[in-house]
Amino acid sequence: MDQILVGFAKAFQLIVSFDPEVMEITGRTLAIAVLSCLVSTLFCIPLGSLIHFRNFRGKRVLINVIQTFYSMPTVVVGLMIFIFFSRVGGPFGVFNLMFTPTIMVIGQVILISPIVLGLTVAALSGVEKGVFETASSLGASRIQATLLVIREARYAILSAVTLGFGRAISEVGLALMIGGNIAGYTRVITTAIAMETSKGNVELSIALGIILIILALLVNIILNRLQQK
Amino acid sequence: MSKKGFKSIIITLSLIMVLALLVGCAPAATTPAPSPAPTTATTPAATQPAATTPTASPTPTTPTGYPIQQPKVRFKIATTTSLYDTGLWAYLEPAFEKKENVELDIVYAGTGAAINQGKAGNVDAVIVHDPDQEKPFVEEGWGINKRSFAYNFFMIAGPAADPAGIKDMAPVDAFKKIAAAGKNDPTNVKFISRGDNSGTHGAERRLWASAGFDYATQVQKQAWYVEAGQGMGPTLTMANEMKAYVLCDGSTFQSYKGRLALVALVQKAAAETLNVYSVYAVNPAKVRGARLDIAKKFINWLISPEVQNMIGEYGVKEFGGPLFFPIADPTFPAIPDLAENMKPIP
Amino acid sequence: MVLIETVNLSKKYAEREVLKNVNLKIERAEVFALIGPTGAGKTTLIRILDLLEAPSSGQFFFNGEDVSSHQVDRLALKRRMSYVHQRPLVFNMNVFDNVACGLRWRHLNSSIIKRKTEEALDLVGMASFRNGSAKTLSGGEMQRIAIARALVTEPEVLFLDEPTANMDPVSTAKVEEVLAHIINQRKTTIIMSTHNMSQGQRMANRLGTLIGGELLQTGTVSDIFNQPQNRAVAEFVGVENIIRGVVEGKDNELASIAVNGEKITAISNLPVGEKVDVLIRPEYIVFSSTPASGSARNVFKCQVNRINTIGSSVRIEATCGFPLLGVITVQSAQELGISIGKEIYASFKATAIHVIKRWN
Repeated sequence: MDQILVGFAKAFQLIVSFDPEVMEITGRTLAIAVLSCLVSTLFCIPLGSLIHFRNFRGKRVLINVIQTFYSMPTVVVGLMIFIFFSRVGGPFGVFNLMFTPTIMVIGQVILISPIVLGLTVAALSGVEKGVFETASSLGASRIQATLLVIREARYAILSAVTLGFGRAISEVGLALMIGGNIAGYTRVITTAIAMETSKGNVELSIALGIILIILALLVNIILNRLQQK
Repeated sequence: MSKKGFKSIIITLSLIMVLALLVGCAPAATTPAPSPAPTTATTPAATQPAATTPTASPTPTTPTGYPIQQPKVRFKIATTTSLYDTGLWAYLEPAFEKKENVELDIVYAGTGAAINQGKAGNVDAVIVHDPDQEKPFVEEGWGINKRSFAYNFFMIAGPAADPAGIKDMAPVDAFKKIAAAGKNDPTNVKFISRGDNSGTHGAERRLWASAGFDYATQVQKQAWYVEAGQGMGPTLTMANEMKAYVLCDGSTFQSYKGRLALVALVQKAAAETLNVYSVYAVNPAKVRGARLDIAKKFINWLISPEVQNMIGEYGVKEFGGPLFFPIADPTFPAIPDLAENMKPIP
Repeated sequence: MVLIETVNLSKKYAEREVLKNVNLKIERAEVFALIGPTGAGKTTLIRILDLLEAPSSGQFFFNGEDVSSHQVDRLALKRRMSYVHQRPLVFNMNVFDNVACGLRWRHLNSSIIKRKTEEALDLVGMASFRNGSAKTLSGGEMQRIAIARALVTEPEVLFLDEPTANMDPVSTAKVEEVLAHIINQRKTTIIMSTHNMSQGQRMANRLGTLIGGELLQTGTVSDIFNQPQNRAVAEFVGVENIIRGVVEGKDNELASIAVNGEKITAISNLPVGEKVDVLIRPEYIVFSSTPASGSARNVFKCQVNRINTIGSSVRIEATCGFPLLGVITVQSAQELGISIGKEIYASFKATAIHVIKRWN
């Protein structure tokens, strides 16, 4: 019991004193997750609109496939990236990206995009059917009407992005496999917790764990507020 | 007002983003404007976990002092976990980064995994300690410019009660005894193996072979034998919880000592438990883009007298004795041709 | 000047024919109401005219230009029209932005947008809701926003699909007032659909009855009401007595028509031997206890089958050799002492009858 209490006390101290290591890891974690989310959102919204507004063969199948990937294991993404980005044998090896923050962003984008994309399509489908036509009969061009539908779906899309963010920030397998948990470079909260715990440094793990839970809580609060709309 | 709510969320998100970038780039206070690209997080490691770091200057600033940083070369190595978990790399890293003005990225993995990262071309050098796995790595042409730079000894740790009664035995005899006792009483006598193709795992298998066991049929899948599939630290923790015997390198055991109830039972320096750490450059002929130039500097630096001294001093203050012996330490004949090994790579 | 013209316009969904050879001409500044039962194809016709859907066959000319031709800039054409859908739909933004969006899509400058939007809001009486969220409004308020949104772009043609369906009487009155205002002030061409006969009557210059996908009759309000050209239109416009007969004899414009052994005299120029439907509005039938000696040429002895009091009027179903439905006031019903089985006399003038040719 004592060990746990001492651990929490030290953890609290690390947080309130803005311990540089804790802050640095937290900052990097946020930066990578936010950037992944932004990249994912930037291409998932247009792509999702395309899927929603166009009718094509296999549309349902495509959506089912996307939904299947919601629960894609992080280590599978890690494996894929390892295969594709290794300098030996990987088609993208020339970029020399393994064990960099960039590859972590790429990995997280791959990981969360099915969620963001699938839920964006669902969000757009949730918009009243008449919106596009109403806009169109009020003189909107196709693009203007599409933008309006996206605007109407904004809360649902934002909750999709928030969910993606939650998954990006909390996953560990991918970050460890392709980021390598390099101190001061690719170490994020989850990989740091995994390592410090195995080394027995529970205080730092607890501090980082608390921060991660606070972040998750924030994400959840935002999500709840959005769903109440 | 839904609109207000939406705006406040957007503002919150952007605040988080800005905060993240600021904090993420905090060590780079000298850079003019932190750009949002993740690569800007490549600022030098501000803090290292090891409290014993003697050279505490973390941020090598450019000589001009002007706030424009040269994009630094990144040099990646895959190292065996024991060197990482004991904090040796955290202790050595800043010195090399300062000397050569590169970013040293250290990925830790068991010897098998480290060699695989080298073969996949994801690192420029590997540091390993398993002769059986190093051999094909060299023969297939992946690893070149081998130098050994440190050694220590494996030891057998176990519960203080020592149910198999192996204290101070020769390692091979101790293994025989553990197997026999484990067969009789698998609930109380257990042996935990790394089980992860690491150097320690390799050493353990060699010991089973010397003791006359066929590893696959007489050791694996036995009731008393547990394969952890994890690094040294977690495996030690597991052994501690299960009151089991475990083969461990002396350095890791020493650095974990305070947190474990396990005691060292067999720990005499012997040829069978010798554990030699070697570094290899990844061959650019096999891996396009591997940084042989820096790898050579890195290897020569590791065998330089200065670094050999640092290795010998590491842990003396904290643990009362060195965790690793520099390879140049003559107390035990760790490698056959020491003189050849100490020659810098041209 | 003809603004909208369709030639043999048809629309099929899979095998179902929703519109059949619709030929329609609408003049500029005209208020035209499409009437017909629900499911008759009114919405589909409006959607085609608003370019939301393409016809399966036939042509559609706007201002003399063939809309289906590739030279036509459909977006520019669309921007000359506006459409208020049947179900009020507002966007999830405030009232002002809802109304302003049509102007924003046309890239007008913001001061013009502000002025026009505020005018439109004033017009529909929603100016005080300016900054409120449109989603929180009632159905009637939403429809007024939808109308303001359609009017703010000053369209040449305004399509209104059942603008007051499912609306409370107050909102209906307000909407009709707004429409009357723009009809008077702006001379906008309006094409509206309604299944509410009296609304069509109140607002439109001309009516078109669309029944079962066919435009059966177009004409002025009194044309449609008093001289329906076929049985379906007659039924729809509330002619409840439709009696089958054959023209038996003619005396100038007076025709005598054989109906179930009885003889009805009516004004018609259909030839002898023609199979016809005799249409009599129930309110034109007079009941009395003795054979009336007035000017009515048609007097029949009837037996009362059913009495049904609705408000201040009484509907009487009687058999006079043929079934006949009449409507009288409660007061006259009492004076006559009407009861089921009682014998009474029904009379109606030759001029109260409309005779149409029977096709089947």
